Amino acid sequence: MKKSLFRPTDMFELSIVYIFCFSLNLLLDYAKTLDLDAYILKAFLKNFIDYQPLIVSLFTFIVIVFHYQMLERKKAEIFCRILVGGTVFGITIRYVLDCLTVLIFVYFLSALVNLHFSFNLADNFYLVLIFVTYILISARRVRKYENI
Amino acid sequence: MKIFKFIVSKIFLRKAILGIGIMLLLLMANYITFTAARSILSTFQGYQETKYVNQEGVYIANLDPDSHIDMSMIGESGTQAVYDYLNSSFKYAFYTDGFIVSVPNGDDMKISLGYMNEQYYRLNEFELSQGTDLDFDYQLDGEIPVLVGKGLSKTYPVGATIEMEESVLGRPLTLRVQGVLKQNAYHSNFYALNSKAYYNFSILFPVNEEFINHTSMDIKFNGLMDIVLLDTSKEEIVDLSEVIKDNLGLSFNFFSQKENYDYFNEYYLHSLKIIFITTFILLIVITCLSVWNGLVSVRLMLKDFTINLLVGLSYSKLKRIFYGYFGMLSFVNVVLIATFTAFNRYGCWLRKDATFATYGLFGLIGMDWLALLLVVVSDIVIGIIVVESMLWKIKKVPISLGVLQ
Amino acid sequence: MTKIIDLSVKEKIYKSKKAQISILNGFRLEVAAGEKIAIVGESGAGKSSLLNIIGLLDRNYSGEYTLFGSPTDQLHTSQLAQWRNQRIGFILQESALINSLTVEDNIKLPFLYASPDQKGVGEIEDFDAVVSAIEIRHILKKKPLECSGGEKARAVFARGIIMKPQLILADEPTASLDVENRERIVTLLFNMNKEFNTTIITVTHDLEIANRHDRVIHLERSK
Repeated sequence: MKKSLFRPTDMFELSIVYIFCFSLNLLLDYAKTLDLDAYILKAFLKNFIDYQPLIVSLFTFIVIVFHYQMLERKKAEIFCRILVGGTVFGITIRYVLDCLTVLIFVYFLSALVNLHFSFNLADNFYLVLIFVTYILISARRVRKYENI
Repeated sequence: MKIFKFIVSKIFLRKAILGIGIMLLLLMANYITFTAARSILSTFQGYQETKYVNQEGVYIANLDPDSHIDMSMIGESGTQAVYDYLNSSFKYAFYTDGFIVSVPNGDDMKISLGYMNEQYYRLNEFELSQGTDLDFDYQLDGEIPVLVGKGLSKTYPVGATIEMEESVLGRPLTLRVQGVLKQNAYHSNFYALNSKAYYNFSILFPVNEEFINHTSMDIKFNGLMDIVLLDTSKEEIVDLSEVIKDNLGLSFNFFSQKENYDYFNEYYLHSLKIIFITTFILLIVITCLSVWNGLVSVRLMLKDFTINLLVGLSYSKLKRIFYGYFGMLSFVNVVLIATFTAFNRYGCWLRKDATFATYGLFGLIGMDWLALLLVVVSDIVIGIIVVESMLWKIKKVPISLGVLQ
Repeated sequence: MTKIIDLSVKEKIYKSKKAQISILNGFRLEVAAGEKIAIVGESGAGKSSLLNIIGLLDRNYSGEYTLFGSPTDQLHTSQLAQWRNQRIGFILQESALINSLTVEDNIKLPFLYASPDQKGVGEIEDFDAVVSAIEIRHILKKKPLECSGGEKARAVFARGIIMKPQLILADEPTASLDVENRERIVTLLFNMNKEFNTTIITVTHDLEIANRHDRVIHLERSK
């Protein structure tokens, strides 16, 4: 943790935004399996189920917000770490690994829920790909703060 | 305005990701509110409509869900026998629709035909924008008075005649337009109150005994599904159930006013409660995320805000700017939702879908505008929570510290 | 001479989770218009806190304070903002600039909040005069991050004096500057005092600069 840009609160925040996105996806998957008698409920849920990938993808934007604000706040810290001997590469790798650790942990949790409800494990996997893309794109910003 | 433009363009838009974040969260909140509001409003409209039919002494037919339909048992003579019994023993309201035909019209729409008898017409109190009430005393060989929807009134105004090959009678008919229904007149499905068919491109036929006697089995059978028995009692209905069972092999339930209301209250109220609670929980979650996004924005823009405060910006002005900014995002979202809805409604026109083609200001009908109003109310509530928490965060940091962040 | 500051602080308390620190106990200050005052003292004595109280940035203390003849406890926040805009000029360390704005936009920022009757009146002339006097025309289009420490300090100075305030509060305005830039800033500050009878209160660690003021107030840490 000492070499990491992440503090426990940052880890917590990132976990929460990941959990929110995975939960939303699971919730909509669950809604699909409901055998509802009530037409009104079916019609209501259809408005969300029909657009599930779009809705979930739009919500993943909060993860972009997290990465953006996290690195903006850590500008000075990145600069100072480089000043005292850290390298951009090292900081970037550690940042990516930290993000991936949180992501894998949350995905593991969501996979357990998937198994519990007998959902396809792949249903949540597309989110992992989206989040990994976000992590890689945001990691490129570390270089930006080499000189501030 | 100058200060507002300055703060928005030089501070907020410099960190556009945060603005887009709030905007998307708000868009989701708006979509959820809008969808829930429309479901609830549409159900409420359907519920109001049932009040016309579901009156004291009325029994409404409902095919028993456990009843097995054996099509080989359903024939012309059996169906006619049921109607003979109905005609001799009951006063009943008859309605059926969904028969699609081609009738030339200015919008090139497929036309939906609806059939109702006088009892049903009286119960429903159809509102007309032009012309006079339907006349049920006519001969099939002459001109049949009909009501048309607003969409057809341009091609077929009051007094005009329509020549058509009518499917349920299976012969050419001459129809005379007696009246034009009010714009967006609708009929709700009795067992799915939130789903409705609009009459804008419909022709409503008056059904009398002669019509019933000459018509095909389809319409009689369909009409039986929702038939409404008036001024009757449970005992009299038992005999009808047996007649239907003997002639068509079907078990029908007939529910009284109280039974119907009990059903509505249990079934719909429960569904509406679930929709309301789900929406409420989702809105709370989205509000929490919006507050988080707002606080993150303050964290990153604190120095910019406090330097402005240092050189003369007051907290009250900053508050107005925040509300203005949030209002701007909310306005863009409401416009997006309205455009999306208008586009959906316009899609019915493109698909020539007569049942769902509607008229309204900017393509939106009254229910949409009401739902948008609720969206605005929810935005105001979310806006107050987000803006006040952002200001709380800014005020918590002394200006002297903030400027040196 | 007109008295513009009459401050009497009973106590100013800073609380943290573990401790509570009380500073400026029984501190009293009276300042006449046009006076130049330096505040010196060791770190933690409350120099910057005092400046914040005088500049109405901090009202969380016990005591009484009359500024420009008005008791400050009765002032509304919008009036405070108006005074910060027109009557008080803050000259802080060079980091107190908005990095996303150009130096010109930073300096002109107070114009944005000028009251309607003052808006536009002599803004261009004032701006030109200040820019020429401080010799920062060449950095006007630059962002603060592209400027040197001395240039940023001059930009902060320019913003502090652009509205010709009656009172200038300078917090270590020369702390990170070389001798040449330090001299330039101090000369400009004193010229303001001479030309417009501006009252100047400077917090500094530099005794040489402090001694060039009319009065030096030495603050000590509370025991």
